[in-house]
Amino acid sequence: MSEAQAMHAAEIPAASTDDILRIEGLVKHFPIKAGVFKHTVGQVRAVDGVDLVVRRGETLGVVGESGCGKTTLGRTIIKLIEPTEGKIVFDGQDITRFKRKQMRPVRRDIQIVFQDPYASLNPRMTVREIVGEPLRIHGLYTRGEGARRVEELLRTVGLSPEHANRFPHEFSGGQRQRIGVARALALNPRMMVLDEPVSALDVSIQAQVVNLLAQLQRDLGLTYLFIAHDLSVVRHVSDRVAVMYLGKIVEVGSRAEIYGSPMHPYTQALLSAVPIDSPDQRGKRKRIVLEGDVPSPANPPSGCRFRTRCWKAKDICAEEDPPLVPRGGGAHPVACHFAEIMRPLDLVEDAAVAVAPTKTI
Amino acid sequence: MPEPVLSIRDLTVEFDTEDGVVRAVTGVSYELFPGEVLGVVGESGSGKSVSVLSVLGLIPQPPGRIPFGEAVFKGRDLLKLSRSELQDIRGGEVAMIFQDPMTSLNPVLTIGEQITEALKAHNQGMSDSAAEARTVELLEVVGVPFAERRVHQYPHEFSGGMRQRAMIAMAIANDPTVLVADEPTTALDVTIQAQIVEVLKAAQRETHAAIILITHDLGLIAELADRVVVMYASRVVELGDVFTIFSRPRHPYTVGLMNSLARLDSEKEWLEPIPGQPPSLITPPPGCAFHPRCAQSQGRALCRSDIPVLRDFGEGAEHLSACHFAEELAAREVRTGAAAEGS
Repeated sequence: MSEAQAMHAAEIPAASTDDILRIEGLVKHFPIKAGVFKHTVGQVRAVDGVDLVVRRGETLGVVGESGCGKTTLGRTIIKLIEPTEGKIVFDGQDITRFKRKQMRPVRRDIQIVFQDPYASLNPRMTVREIVGEPLRIHGLYTRGEGARRVEELLRTVGLSPEHANRFPHEFSGGQRQRIGVARALALNPRMMVLDEPVSALDVSIQAQVVNLLAQLQRDLGLTYLFIAHDLSVVRHVSDRVAVMYLGKIVEVGSRAEIYGSPMHPYTQALLSAVPIDSPDQRGKRKRIVLEGDVPSPANPPSGCRFRTRCWKAKDICAEEDPPLVPRGGGAHPVACHFAEIMRPLDLVEDAAVAVAPTKTI
Repeated sequence: MPEPVLSIRDLTVEFDTEDGVVRAVTGVSYELFPGEVLGVVGESGSGKSVSVLSVLGLIPQPPGRIPFGEAVFKGRDLLKLSRSELQDIRGGEVAMIFQDPMTSLNPVLTIGEQITEALKAHNQGMSDSAAEARTVELLEVVGVPFAERRVHQYPHEFSGGMRQRAMIAMAIANDPTVLVADEPTTALDVTIQAQIVEVLKAAQRETHAAIILITHDLGLIAELADRVVVMYASRVVELGDVFTIFSRPRHPYTVGLMNSLARLDSEKEWLEPIPGQPPSLITPPPGCAFHPRCAQSQGRALCRSDIPVLRDFGEGAEHLSACHFAEELAAREVRTGAAAEGS
């Protein structure tokens, strides 16, 4: 048992529930400032009331398009960004109002891996310094042990200890992402927020990193919050999946529920837009092409936020924000007044492209 | 077989860099036939974009140069044309759609001004009102709502997807014979990507242009391409009909690429990545550049000594592979097929 693990065991009592992370009513608004005096003229509602539970040892995928708030959600959970409202409970401990110092031990348990391995590694530091930095910050980098721990971490992520003296620019994108993963692993975290960890990588390298993450999860019993826009990758890695749209979760369920029997029109449209796997599937996938773009999170539509692009929208959708609850005969929660199962991934003969008309209510 | 509209032969492109000469494209040959969608697929640094942009005079020279090759378009070698002759062709008979519409559109001109400019640059004597009317029409073809109003807006007033539509409208403005789309959907969200795929189909219906679709996204290739050129480390490693490339790939790199994808229709627990890293283009491995990562080579000397040529390996000129052992891949598949039947 390493030193870090030993300290771990001493400080944090054994968890009593299956949930490692529980967030309730999480809100993050960013002020929009304007004018000479920087008056706040509005709020970007990046995350606007999210309830979510992450179970110990699982991978929860969070999908959605750019601007849906998934990255802000990930960063707010680990308090790189302070939440505006709501509650974050990590391992039975309410960390919402934790100050920097209080967060320190929590930061050991929950780490983040960023999307861009070119931007997230300090170019002036060697790999040894980068991977060893979390240990130093937490006072765990001892003379003999520190270097050995870094080498061990490099081996864990499929790099060789000889790489320790090199600088980030000497590595390819995939290798840099391994360095980022090694750094995140340094403190023996129990949970990792993976923010688009493979989307900047080439396809053949993506698969390497996805497998590495899966192997680490298996070996170290990690819990992942896997944030990504690639629905094929998310399906591959996730046990459960949450779909976000404009700062809210619109549907959450097991992988089989979300991909096999999605109930929210947005999930259905999103899935139907995923490119086909091979040319044999041309014209056999139902396509729901959404008109228009995602509305501004500074001025989201009233009621259900998806209604302006939804083909099912009726008056009630403008008036009432549908809560995220099981409905329509399904077992998993979905935030739609008219939720019903549709399976856009089933292949059919002569599938037509359906264009969902823009509604202006 | 119809005459190709564009025929690239033995093209080599080099760049001088601080670390040495980078061969971004090595001896690349392919043809583009009228009305087809030719997918050029490869990972970053494979040379897929440079192979096309260089023949259109769109790489800076220096540091770039084209020591060999020709690119015959309608009987003329594009590589021998003067700058102004090329300029006449670009945006006219050969038009382009780039990945990032924000950097390819002029931020201080309205969308309408930019499209009418493109129209008038290639149609001398076109009246302002005719150009404006055509601009609105083009924006309607690509599905920009309220086109009449939106022609007066600036690029920043358009969303990413709408900007890409405006780019496509501009590209098809002069009824091009060849449309080059370089990662046209990469910067866009999934639902917007799906829109743009439909717009590209509409653009092709409108112009009957032959499209060169440069992308790393095999999904986009599966969706749109008729034929596929697969590039690796500056060379073409496989070429064939899209259905053939997906169902019977005959280069170990293509096989590896297909296997490494997370697919929606697969229940594999582990992905099958290609091991190792893409090679340096300054000091590529000897012999076949793919051999250090190759599952087929198994350390055979031939792979380390001889650079394989793109060849017909027994399936005719329509399906070419640059693997010394392409026949083995075919044979192995037949065997596994037979085994499956027997069991």
